[in-house]
Amino acid sequence: MNRRAFYMFMSPSLLVMLTLMVFPLITSIWLSMQYMTFRNINEPEFVGLANYIEVFEDLKFWNAFSFTMTYIAIAVPLQISSGFLIAVLLDQVSRRLRGIYIAAFLMPFIVVPVVGTLMVKQLFESGGIVAWAYREIIGSRFILTEQSVKSLIIIHALWAATPFPLIVFFAGLQTLPDELVEASMIDGATRLQQLRHIMIPHLRSLFVFIGLISIMDAYRVFDSVFVLTEQNPIYKAEVMMLYTFRTAMSVQRLGKANAMSVITVVMILVVLVPFLIRTYKEQTEER
Amino acid sequence: MKRIDNRYARAVIYLLLTAYAIFSVTPFFWTTIQSFKTPRQANSRVPLFIFEPTADNYADLWLKSIPDDPFLVAIVLVAIFGFLVLVAINAGRFPLPRGYVYLAVLATGFAVLWFIPEYIKTQTFYDYFLNTIIVTAGTICISISIGCLAGYGLARYSGIAGVIILVTALGFRSLPGMAYILPYWWFGQRSGLYDTHILLIITLVAINQPFTIWMLRSFFMNIPKEIEESAMVDGANRLTAFISVIIPIMWPGIISTALFTLLLAYSDFLLVRILTQSNWTLTVAISKYAAGEDPGHITLAAAAAVSAAVPIIIVVFIFQGQLVKGLTAGAVKG
Repeated sequence: MNRRAFYMFMSPSLLVMLTLMVFPLITSIWLSMQYMTFRNINEPEFVGLANYIEVFEDLKFWNAFSFTMTYIAIAVPLQISSGFLIAVLLDQVSRRLRGIYIAAFLMPFIVVPVVGTLMVKQLFESGGIVAWAYREIIGSRFILTEQSVKSLIIIHALWAATPFPLIVFFAGLQTLPDELVEASMIDGATRLQQLRHIMIPHLRSLFVFIGLISIMDAYRVFDSVFVLTEQNPIYKAEVMMLYTFRTAMSVQRLGKANAMSVITVVMILVVLVPFLIRTYKEQTEER
Repeated sequence: MKRIDNRYARAVIYLLLTAYAIFSVTPFFWTTIQSFKTPRQANSRVPLFIFEPTADNYADLWLKSIPDDPFLVAIVLVAIFGFLVLVAINAGRFPLPRGYVYLAVLATGFAVLWFIPEYIKTQTFYDYFLNTIIVTAGTICISISIGCLAGYGLARYSGIAGVIILVTALGFRSLPGMAYILPYWWFGQRSGLYDTHILLIITLVAINQPFTIWMLRSFFMNIPKEIEESAMVDGANRLTAFISVIIPIMWPGIISTALFTLLLAYSDFLLVRILTQSNWTLTVAISKYAAGEDPGHITLAAAAAVSAAVPIIIVVFIFQGQLVKGLTAGAVKG
């Protein structure tokens, strides 16, 4: 295909992405330098970097930041390791049973995030089955506190985000050549040694891929936190996206909220750039 | 891989897998049970598993008042939709191209849903349901048509510009949605498009475009070049060759991509929450039921969650082959 034809085919999509992705991002930087509330949408007041300074001095912002980091540090390794473990176990099961298991495992992945969160929350409501078990075992009622809301958010993350690594690792394991495993068995390798020296190295690139995707997804988590905290700042379980949302829509400080989202974008670039470079190399090789 | 033969080891494997499967489905199971209870039963000290199910929660959620003859209404609706499904299954037997038959079925189905409030007094929840259908369908149509052109271009063009566009698009896709949505809100306020379906559709198309072009491109790459080349030798230009030769064999890929677009548009929360005031979709509407003081909110929330999950589960069930194909295609290329 020649260049002209390529751009003709590309133009509608390119137009949409330029006007609705590139342009808004630039607007966001511009808005982040304005003092703007719901009242002066049409005549914002230019304040330079004042919003950024305010954000960096805002304790609530740092609280949200540290909870986001904790969330990533706990949830992502758990998701990846349990996804990998289940994928390895699933590989041992006969084909027919696999279908049933996969259908069950994929349920949390398919369902709408807000709905899934609501369903997990149902277990912990006053008449819920887990709340009941908690009362029977621990002896006290399950109540929402800062600690329990934070744990709920992480339990939900594990429930909702493990299926993705699981399915990807499982698909990856299907491409593992049988000869490699058989040769290692003849050499007397134990199961654990096979796992350590054959399976994990074979899936290394998938580990990197899943790791980067999971970190970025965890970074911008919003829906589940929104539902589980009931938007109540009392629980101090806000993540960065939720705090940005509240600053924009409840506190009505749009300039400051835009400054926060610009800061988030810059932070995410740290993870994103290596990921993009890797993709670029792959694509140029594939061509 | 070679199976483990040890009987105890196998028992442990099944135990772990089953435990994880139970962990995955318990919330669905429990919420469904709760949605058929009265608030009193749902709040009982010891969880109830045997009780007399009631559909009151669903009636409260969807209807303002129950029609005089609920069974007749239900039978008529089941008959209409059953008939439509039968027509769709037997689409090949009509003297028309399949595409037209499906289109007619979808249009009729939507018209029926649209006119239901004329005869039955429905709650606002039903309006949110219709909003969801409109927004999702609009997003799929626009997104897939412009995405197909771009995906085809990207699959066939070998210049470096193609790779740069793909990688940049992926980068934009990975940024947090908030970075676009706050400016959208501002545009929406200034242009007066705030709280309209149009704004939702075009922004959802834009946000999902990188994903759409990546996925469609990978499907187009599996189609051999020779197919359109032979059509072009016969005198067709590239665009007509694309429409008349490539698109007809691309249907599986298009359906797969459309399915993922549907899941994305249906489940989007942040964008719809910020860009609408009252024209919500289901996802935003049900988040309202998350918190509440009165004991009735638990059963109502359960009914709302199940109501929003059922359409997606039906769609996924119908197209499960395409879903798995799309997932593994993305994964193996990863």
